[in-house]
Amino acid sequence: MNQFLTASARALAWSSAVASSRAARQVPRGGVPSVIVLVAGAIIVLNYGLLYTGSVFVLSACYAIVTAGMAVQIGFSQQIAFSQSVFFGVGAYGVAILNSHLHMSVLLSGVVMVVAAGLIALLLGSVVTRASGLALAVATLMLPLIAVGYVSGTDFLGGPVGSPLNGTLWPGGGSTTLVALGGGLIVVVLLAAVVFIASRILSSDIGLELFVLGVDERTAAALGVRTPRRKLELFVLGCVCAALGGVVYAGTQQFVPETVIDPTTELALLIMLFIGGRRSPIGAVIGALVIQYLQGASNWVSVNILIVEGVLLTVVLLVDPEGLSGIVQTGIAWLRGKSEPASAPADLAAAELAGAELAGAELAGAELAGAELAGADPPAAAVAPAASAGRESPDEIAGPDARDATLLEVRGVFKEYGGLSVLHDVTLALPGRGLFGLCGPNGAGKSTLLNVIGGSVAPSSGEVIFAGTDITRRPPHERFYQGISRTFQAVHLIKGRTVLDNVAVACLASHTASIVTRIGRSRLDAARAKATRTLADLGMAHLADREVSSLTLETQRMVELARALASSPRLLLLDEPASGLSEEQRQRLATLLVTLADRTCVLLVEHDLALVAQVSERIFVLSGGHLVFDGGPADFRSSPVVNSLLVGS
Amino acid sequence: MKFGNLLIAGITTGSIYAMFAVCVSVWYRVSNILNLAVGDFAMVGALGVDNLYRVKGLPLPVAIITTLVVVAVFAYLYDQVVLRIAQDGRRPIEGIVITFFFTFALSFFIDGVAKVLFGTDVHAAPTLWGGPALTLGSLNFERAGLLVLACAVIIGGAFWLYIRFTLGGKALEASGENSLGARIVGIDTRQYRRLIFIGTAVIAALFGIVESPITGFTYLSGATISLTGFLAAAYGGFRKPGRALVAGLFIGVLEAMLGGYVSAEYGDTVLYAILAAAILAWPRALGFESAVSG
Repeated sequence: MNQFLTASARALAWSSAVASSRAARQVPRGGVPSVIVLVAGAIIVLNYGLLYTGSVFVLSACYAIVTAGMAVQIGFSQQIAFSQSVFFGVGAYGVAILNSHLHMSVLLSGVVMVVAAGLIALLLGSVVTRASGLALAVATLMLPLIAVGYVSGTDFLGGPVGSPLNGTLWPGGGSTTLVALGGGLIVVVLLAAVVFIASRILSSDIGLELFVLGVDERTAAALGVRTPRRKLELFVLGCVCAALGGVVYAGTQQFVPETVIDPTTELALLIMLFIGGRRSPIGAVIGALVIQYLQGASNWVSVNILIVEGVLLTVVLLVDPEGLSGIVQTGIAWLRGKSEPASAPADLAAAELAGAELAGAELAGAELAGAELAGADPPAAAVAPAASAGRESPDEIAGPDARDATLLEVRGVFKEYGGLSVLHDVTLALPGRGLFGLCGPNGAGKSTLLNVIGGSVAPSSGEVIFAGTDITRRPPHERFYQGISRTFQAVHLIKGRTVLDNVAVACLASHTASIVTRIGRSRLDAARAKATRTLADLGMAHLADREVSSLTLETQRMVELARALASSPRLLLLDEPASGLSEEQRQRLATLLVTLADRTCVLLVEHDLALVAQVSERIFVLSGGHLVFDGGPADFRSSPVVNSLLVGS
Repeated sequence: MKFGNLLIAGITTGSIYAMFAVCVSVWYRVSNILNLAVGDFAMVGALGVDNLYRVKGLPLPVAIITTLVVVAVFAYLYDQVVLRIAQDGRRPIEGIVITFFFTFALSFFIDGVAKVLFGTDVHAAPTLWGGPALTLGSLNFERAGLLVLACAVIIGGAFWLYIRFTLGGKALEASGENSLGARIVGIDTRQYRRLIFIGTAVIAALFGIVESPITGFTYLSGATISLTGFLAAAYGGFRKPGRALVAGLFIGVLEAMLGGYVSAEYGDTVLYAILAAAILAWPRALGFESAVSG
């Protein structure tokens, strides 16, 4: 077994040396990990393919094909589906049956089974991926349970005994040496291909979509991610990888035991994924390798494998939730940090402070511009720094007339939760430009109304008309692409990503593309370029590379606003953007909002009545789901209804 | 009276599911961690008593008490070492998925230790109430089953009384509703996490002891028990012990009826298909949406 370790180490060292020398010359995305897998795998197979060590390695590579797919589906996108062992079984049993009963070659039957698994996954996935989060996990947990009951009862599949194969993965036949080495090499090539595809998907623009989907499905939908389609694609991807793993398992082991579809196989795969590093395809490969190596070692470790796995998983997750790959990455970052001691944390903090002041100064400039604009022609608004972010806005093209045309109409909207009426016959209309306030006491239905307009909540009855089209039943991501953009009451930024990527999410425009197209070409750079422009327009360019959770609340709200503006929306829905901000920060925000209102329609939900009255040209007041006031700021200040409701008697 | 006897069998297994479901959901309320090791504690209870009584020759009460004390001490140590580092450290590990894997690892560890201590054969704790089945008309009541039901009623009732009528119970409920808020008003949520973890571990072990004469356990039985408890807790919405109890009973009765009337061989398969369909049809009504955001 020690030979195995030294060989792996030598191969890894060599291939990473190759990889790093190539990295300088712009390696294609996903190139490094797959080259490492290919070279290291080939060396191990060719050196030890005929020994026990080699057979353990080939078996672990079969599982690694499955876990690499799981890293995309379960780890990165957080779509927990326990469907792997079943599709592993579909691939393995399918090949066994086609090969031993119909005398089809293993390679051909493997292709047939992977395609078949894809189709089955498509059918099954269109049902189960309607569920989210834990519901998806529990619903798919039934799959292995159902499959075990079926397989153990059918003679066709060999029942509890299992199913043998006649052929081998290596198509040519020949000597045992050739068959063993050839089969092993085929597995390694397929594994490298899967790692390559997985890495390319994760580093593409759709990879960013998937990350957001994993953090919060509702935010993803509001930012234009076509969530039902992505979830289905992920399910199919995970199932196809599992089936491919099953195919090569059957082809190299020449026997399919009943235990492959057991829930214990599912558990074993999940443990490989989490030990290796749930978000990284190469980490998932390492996890499979480590676990299979421990299980295959014929010593006290494999006898007490349950204890070893339990302790290993606990320790690894305590050290780093991102598993072994996370530990390695932290180690590399630490080593790099040691070689470049210049970037001390204190400097970073100082940089943000200076940056915030800079942003403040730019915003003050915007105030100046806004004040001048009060008397100027509407087209001149494009000169203001913030306004230039919307140079592609359709309204800009439509010209000043857009100001009067109705953009959004809410007609007789009711919303009931159970017996509770949250919105009662709400009707309002907004033109193409201007700033409109929406006030009301807690629980008045303000956020629900925003959700009805944004699409995350369907009204019980009534209509929402946007730019002349009825969008009442359209999903949130379609509304996003029609020009409705929103922020949330609580900051909904994507933790663990930079400011630039957070804004780039809104610039992706990949809703019509499928995951498969991104293996070839990524549009992430284009989205990042657009996000960079938006940030520059708002005077926030210096924040681009900062991780969002390290920012102050005001800056986080500004990033969220930048994200909402990046798609050049026609309608901007802001849910309490000023909450948690100081008076000074509110004034900066107010100035910015006024500037924005010159080129787009802004609906502002806010508790700060002074702020609303200061910036809004018209104000709506909701109380108990009823629209009780609709008028200008002067009427708003003097209205007895508003005073009794919001100011208190 | 096929129906009556199926119903009795269903309620007996259902009450076992229900108890484990209550253990899972009560601890989830205070810790936000789904405990998948609860069945392994049950397995340790049954096999531990069997080992001490049959192999080591200790008197039965001593064997039972020793086993429960060992389980409690182990649970305490696990909380003090692993959960404290994981949750109370400077970088608390959050997220339902990742914390779930800690209990996965715990389950593996316990199974591995049990394999070393108890071997791989099927064993069971001795029946605490032996004798032939009691009959009432054409209905048969197995004594072991009645004992399980009695334990379920007593432990379930004690839980309910504790939560409903004591200050500790209120504090427990508060830390489940809003952990941060509870901590602000002076409730030591960590203490409740530890208390309930040890408590549910001991209750699970006790149930393992009572239940094992019916089914028999091996060192790998824990995962199956956890799974049924986890499923029943899931259908109760994870945070609601009362609903978990009802869901457990319902799944038990449904399983018995499907096995009796539909197919003895494929009854479970049909059961799982029905359960999967139910989630997909009514995720919100079954409480999944709220559990996800928690």
